[in-house]
Amino acid sequence: MKNYKNNRNISVFFLTILLAFTGCTDVLDLDPKDKIDGDRLFKDPEGVKQYMANLYYQLPIEDFNYCPYSNEFGFNVTNKANYNTNGIIMDTYTLDGVHSDWHIGVTANDFQWWTEGYELNRDVNLLIDEIPHLNVSDEERKLLIGESSFIRAYLYFGLAKRYGGVPLIKETQEYIPGKVDDLKVPRSTEKETWDFILEECDKAIANLPEDASAWGNYDRRATKWAALALKSRAALHAASLAKYWKNATLSGTAVSQGLVGIDESEADRYYSECIKASHEIMASGKFSLYRPEPADPKEAAENYQALFETPYVASEETIFLKGFVRPGQGTAHNYDIWYNPNQTTFSWPHPGRFNPTLDLVDMYEDYTKPGESAPIITLENGQIDNGGYHRLRSYRKFDSPEEIFRNKDARFFASINYPGGVWKGETLIIQGGLVKPTGEAIVDVDDSYEHNGLTYYTYGADNALKYSGFSNYGFGNMTRTGFLMRKFLSEKVNVTPTWNQSITDYIDMRYAEVLLNYAEAVVESGYTADNAQVKAAKAINDIRRRAGHTTEIPLTLENVLRERRVELAFENKHFWDLIRRREFHEAFDGGKQRLGLMPLLDLRGDKPQYIMVRTRIRYAYAVNFLPYQYYRSIPGIGSSGLIQNPQY
Amino acid sequence: MRSRKIYMLIAGICTLLFHSCELDNFDGPDATIYGGIYDMETKELVRQDIVSGAQIEYVEHGFQNPVTQYQIIKNDGTYRNNLMFSGTYTMQLQRGNFVPMDPIEVKVQGDTEINFEVIPYIRIKNAKIEKEDNIITATFNMETTVPNNVATIGLYFHQQATVGYGSKLNFVEATINEVPTEDKLYTIRLDVTSYSSELEEGKPYYFIIGALIDAPQAEAKHNYAPPVRITI
Repeated sequence: MKNYKNNRNISVFFLTILLAFTGCTDVLDLDPKDKIDGDRLFKDPEGVKQYMANLYYQLPIEDFNYCPYSNEFGFNVTNKANYNTNGIIMDTYTLDGVHSDWHIGVTANDFQWWTEGYELNRDVNLLIDEIPHLNVSDEERKLLIGESSFIRAYLYFGLAKRYGGVPLIKETQEYIPGKVDDLKVPRSTEKETWDFILEECDKAIANLPEDASAWGNYDRRATKWAALALKSRAALHAASLAKYWKNATLSGTAVSQGLVGIDESEADRYYSECIKASHEIMASGKFSLYRPEPADPKEAAENYQALFETPYVASEETIFLKGFVRPGQGTAHNYDIWYNPNQTTFSWPHPGRFNPTLDLVDMYEDYTKPGESAPIITLENGQIDNGGYHRLRSYRKFDSPEEIFRNKDARFFASINYPGGVWKGETLIIQGGLVKPTGEAIVDVDDSYEHNGLTYYTYGADNALKYSGFSNYGFGNMTRTGFLMRKFLSEKVNVTPTWNQSITDYIDMRYAEVLLNYAEAVVESGYTADNAQVKAAKAINDIRRRAGHTTEIPLTLENVLRERRVELAFENKHFWDLIRRREFHEAFDGGKQRLGLMPLLDLRGDKPQYIMVRTRIRYAYAVNFLPYQYYRSIPGIGSSGLIQNPQY
Repeated sequence: MRSRKIYMLIAGICTLLFHSCELDNFDGPDATIYGGIYDMETKELVRQDIVSGAQIEYVEHGFQNPVTQYQIIKNDGTYRNNLMFSGTYTMQLQRGNFVPMDPIEVKVQGDTEINFEVIPYIRIKNAKIEKEDNIITATFNMETTVPNNVATIGLYFHQQATVGYGSKLNFVEATINEVPTEDKLYTIRLDVTSYSSELEEGKPYYFIIGALIDAPQAEAKHNYAPPVRITI
């Protein structure tokens, strides 16, 4: 027995030695079966396509799966395990909307995209290094040069609008052990950064195809027109910064070195870059507005809704589009479950999360008063009062709450679900309370009241599943502004009520935006060459014509900005408009409260009628946006040695 | 017998495992800094906003890429940081309602008191806020210490005494763009009935007079008179 144990010990000893030294041969140095090295990937044209698809995937496209809330979320959020947008969109941060449940303002962790940006930068640089050596035709090589420039322009735009001037890393960096400092690239000035973005756009414009068919089956890849539209957007951003950034003064090293801020004298140059890029698209005749001449506002609303519900019908207007192909994690999104009214959830437990504000609803024109915003008038004397219900005020009375919206711009009806509106065949019941015959109001409570032998309910029905507003049912299932999102949602198709089932495509760049960029740049810079003033007026009136307007309005800054806000509502542009035009700190000055519209059933008259009450949004707070928040904080400066943005 | 062996074994393993657990944490903050911002002439504390008010910037010496630390100042013009590390700092009062100050070098050790004497841009004098019927009337004189205009004057209100430009329910503001003379009396009126959504009857609110110098490049902030509590 003892001998046996000794023998066993000896065996174990030899076995250990054997194992320990086996590693000295290369018998285990196998190539991994699930990975492919760079050389082999780029040798195969299919490999290049795969690689390119991944670069597109990483682009900072603020689509349905972008959640700016804290750096844990970010882009393509449905592909991160256990993450989703929580129903937060970019307009949750603006005057145009609020979250139904949460109070949200911009914090230092929001809208971050630093590490991911430079990861994409490295990935695209690796490809750019390889392009001269790829085994492809010269024609394809040219396309790849254009495409990689497009990606680099897009990504640096994503960085510049968040951080200002950033390190421009134009070549793949090689790490030589011990020489960490060689990898450190200082920030370029904000002006140099925007100029680099425009240069990359130019390179993309010169090399990308005019016709998407050059890409064969992959016809959603960037074209010359996408690069021009990107340039139009980026140049307008840079121009507005140059013109307005001093409205929110900052100080410190980053300012004195020009890492944030652009001199005012640059504004006109950037505006003219925007004008030229936009004009090239307009003059090409390749694009037009989808159904530009509707017979009436009703048809206009149907067309406009279809443009976002089914973007594939409107290829003449879409310039760059991100597809969502099949239900499932990462390839679909969650707009239909987050934003449907509570009445049409098909038992999904968390609808109604985004609530458009009355501030936005006020902006839509009235067909009877073209050329001005049309605030919702609730009082008989025609005055605006945002102070909530007061029994001594004389309110206009309506048999149905939707009457107050009659004559509003078609885009209101196509973008927003409203009290009394019809959605998926259901009339939306959105009611904030009752007014007793005594004039006393019952609001903010689930209650009922007997009057003339009939029972009336505060929220419009006896059961929460039958209404969509104002109660705290489901902690956020009901709108608290009186309004809900309609744009982008599927009305015709009932999307399966579970995670990641919506496959509506996201239009990142469309022709209407190009027209609006053009008009804004022309009016801001007073550009007159090439008959620009007339063309810019036509641009905004064409967009209005498509929305059912028949009276032309003049080209003024106010008209252009109002048109932009309503036409592009919820398309994730308004946030950056407030940033680039330096309007955020004035819009959110710590005192301004966003508004809602609360229908009340008034039992004072001969028959029950609705009154509509303008009021501050229930349980919302005023938000402060401070000048330093126009730039995000740069992470990791302790090791990178970069100069931080002011006040972080 | 067997279980005792197991216990011994566990004890032995634990001894080995935890052997390396020496206390290797850095020392915690060991010093405090506090003080106030005083008017050089009147020797009174200068009221500040908490949100969007002046800040103190600290840069600790001895680091390669030092991070600037920011500290806000209390409404009454005092500040305190009980979690400071001993050391030498460059300290600067920034973006305030007073003539910009040069940075100073400060050695922080134990309890360190650092007071600042500043020249406020505007001194609001003879301030009175009174309510009569539904009208709240604020009257005051102003004295400026720099040649710039006074850009705006305003009356701000909030439920809390932290009231100011950065913390308000609502306000009345007027753009004046002038240099005030010593005896010019300024008046701001606020009609309570126009603010029915913010001002509830029977409840107390704090009202404060503020004035902003026209010096945006210095990121100038509002100067204030003390807040007044009024029941509506």
